[in-house]
Amino acid sequence: MTKNPSKILVIDDDPDFVEAVTVILVSASHQVITASNPEDGKKKILSEKPDLVLLDIMMDSLFDGYSFCHAVKTSKEFESIRNTPIIFVSAVKEIAGSRFGFKGEEQGMAGPDDYIDKPVKPAELLARIDKLLRT
Amino acid sequence: MPEPLVLIIDDEESMRDACAQILLKNKYRIEVAGDGASGLQKIRDLRPDAVIVDLKMPGTSGFEVLENLRLIDPQIAAIVITGYATVDSAVEAMKKGAYDFLPKPFTPEELRLILARALDHRRLALEAEALRREKKLLEENIITMVSHQLRSPLVAIQQYFEVILAGIAGDTAEKPKEMIRRARERLDALLNLINDWLDLARIDKGKIIGKLEPLNLLSLLEKLMEFMDPLAKEFGVSLEWTGSPAPMAEALGDKETLEQVFTNLISNAIQYNKPQGRVSISLREDPDCLVVEVQDTGIGISREHLPLIFDQFFQISRGESKKMKRSGLGLAIAKKIVEAHNGQIEASSTPGSGSTFTVRLPKAPPAAVSA
Repeated sequence: MTKNPSKILVIDDDPDFVEAVTVILVSASHQVITASNPEDGKKKILSEKPDLVLLDIMMDSLFDGYSFCHAVKTSKEFESIRNTPIIFVSAVKEIAGSRFGFKGEEQGMAGPDDYIDKPVKPAELLARIDKLLRT
Repeated sequence: MPEPLVLIIDDEESMRDACAQILLKNKYRIEVAGDGASGLQKIRDLRPDAVIVDLKMPGTSGFEVLENLRLIDPQIAAIVITGYATVDSAVEAMKKGAYDFLPKPFTPEELRLILARALDHRRLALEAEALRREKKLLEENIITMVSHQLRSPLVAIQQYFEVILAGIAGDTAEKPKEMIRRARERLDALLNLINDWLDLARIDKGKIIGKLEPLNLLSLLEKLMEFMDPLAKEFGVSLEWTGSPAPMAEALGDKETLEQVFTNLISNAIQYNKPQGRVSISLREDPDCLVVEVQDTGIGISREHLPLIFDQFFQISRGESKKMKRSGLGLAIAKKIVEAHNGQIEASSTPGSGSTFTVRLPKAPPAAVSA
């Protein structure tokens, strides 16, 4: 069990995935807030000020997650919570690479603090969260 | 949207002023230019929505303006004013891309009307262009979208299994069981999606044409209404026949695939309805075809979505299957089937009060009289 329970915002449009990840986070005594689309996510990151965000890269439109992350890390609107760590969660490993011609960071998009593949291993997810929360 | 910007190019100051005066009442932003060259410069710099140009000007003529305008932005609506109202010059201007022409002298009302029509035309052309671009983008990313649709349910299921295997699903046996039930639902939906995709790929115009036979649509629809009745009851929706009882011609159709089309339309009409809503089904004979209408009293379809609902790429991009058991491909399949019959399917809708789906099918040739 983790030593520092925190508030975590999960942004993902798949209700089953959110449900399962919530169970994992709660098992480590984290408090979980969820959002099912980028707009709701933007609202909640400002109102709830989570300690960390788990962000699905590909929601209803391609690469939603990238623009969300970029906005949080660079736009004035999110200045107050700019340092909130963001972990990209994606089943499409190739998107992080170049298979579909989208290299977020090379195109000047601000990247996340960490990546993790879907489905996530409970122990690995919790360890990565802990690491980011400690730093 | 800012007010439309209209550029008036005419060498006669009185004409420019008159046009500007007429149009200012209609909330346009107006720019003027006194000759063709400076007019073109303003077109490049300001990108107006519409240009009103005099054909006969010293220096750069109206024709030259039109030619260059088309190179700068073919979607700018151009209207020519011509003092020598010959058919030839008007035709020439239209050939060079003008939307319409206005012979001098004209009334303020004529100018307003033609400009409003031209701007309307431009708006529709721009909307169509935006749709084409969006569709192209989707098509280019189709492999990504499709694999996303296939992968999402599998990942969700795997994620439940990870939780169950880690022993953190809950203290009771009920929690893991619930997760397994959800996993099974996602698998069902995934199977439906794959079946629908295969259907869509398999519908083959040649094969359907080969199976066309005279078909009594009235009895087919009656049978389907009976079949759909339990679903309607489940949703608290009433199914009503509003068609004509008069005998009519038979359709030329393939029974199996047409049943699929109407089942889909009726079940959509039931499931996207309001509680205590109504689904009306009708059939009538037009001079050249048979017309089936399925009308619901549901929430309707927004104007911007209406042109897209029969599009498989649109359905995929909306990710409907994630939330529902349906793949969202039913209308794409229906369209492909109806068109393979050389028929037409279309939808109209009033958001908030309901939608109507209309299917037109060819008639069977009159039966040969036996000797």
